[in-house]
Amino acid sequence: MAGGVISKEKAEPNLTPLLDIVFQLITFFMLVINFASDNYDQRINLPDAGSARPVEDDSRISEDRLVLNVDSEGRLLQGEKVMGIDEAAQSIRHQADLVKLSLRSSGVKFDPATGSLPTTIILRADKETTFGAVLGIIKACQSQGFRKFALKAMIRS
Amino acid sequence: MAHKRGGIEMEGPDVPVAPMLDMAFQLLTFFVLTYRAAPVEGQFVMNLLPPQAATAMAAAAAEPSASNDLPASLRTLPVVLRGDDQGRLAQVSIADLDVSNDPKALAEELDRHFLDPDAPFDQTLIKVDPNLRYSDLMTIIDAFTDAFVRAKKEPKLSFDELRAGDGA
Repeated sequence: MAGGVISKEKAEPNLTPLLDIVFQLITFFMLVINFASDNYDQRINLPDAGSARPVEDDSRISEDRLVLNVDSEGRLLQGEKVMGIDEAAQSIRHQADLVKLSLRSSGVKFDPATGSLPTTIILRADKETTFGAVLGIIKACQSQGFRKFALKAMIRS
Repeated sequence: MAHKRGGIEMEGPDVPVAPMLDMAFQLLTFFVLTYRAAPVEGQFVMNLLPPQAATAMAAAAAEPSASNDLPASLRTLPVVLRGDDQGRLAQVSIADLDVSNDPKALAEELDRHFLDPDAPFDQTLIKVDPNLRYSDLMTIIDAFTDAFVRAKKEPKLSFDELRAGDGA
């Protein structure tokens, strides 16, 4: 290197590994965001409970699930639709009919008097709602043959 | 970009990586800013049977053990929850005895019923004031589940609506 001679060669940092890492991070966030928006309704404030079991650890709930979100006023939320108890009961009946139809098509007989539907009702009720409102939804489910329930709560750390 | 291979200088395609990196960082910023961690939700799984026959059907669902062939009504611990005007938990009665709703006192009382080998209880029927807030009911469910787990029993809970005259 001679004094007074300026090298005109540009520095060329290798950006490929950086790009690799950034793409991996993007992939991670895309996947996580998809999972988070699955069934969670942000309008529901769940009650706290320390002994609630984590969802993944519970083998007792069936694959077939119906998620019901109940707000602080005791209304059933289905997407943007807000339903009172009568409309909610109708919606639950419609869901039960679909389950029964699916059972019939797979050759399983369902006796409404004694049988219970294999679907697990995932009940996400707001902590400010009353037991009476939650019971109304539970009774509507029971009258259609749903027996398995999972009451959701936030796990206290 | 020049590469040397076997002593021969080869000219490769000069792909500009910087714009791609710019885009990637913009995407990354978008996802980081819109990311909301999935809440840690848990659940209490239970078989809830129609209220009219809750005790009898709970007994049918429960597998009868050889050591415990008592009727369901004797194996079921009756609990009554009453709320105040605001729907807050005001009174807890276990087996017709008023219990403090302080979590520690409640846990001790439940242990007295479930840990005692002579006590027949392996399930509970909770009669709940319809005006009681769901969060307060969950506190009680939480306490019962803990007590069942401490007693190494499978939690078996069922609910019914508290009607006028019940548990008075």
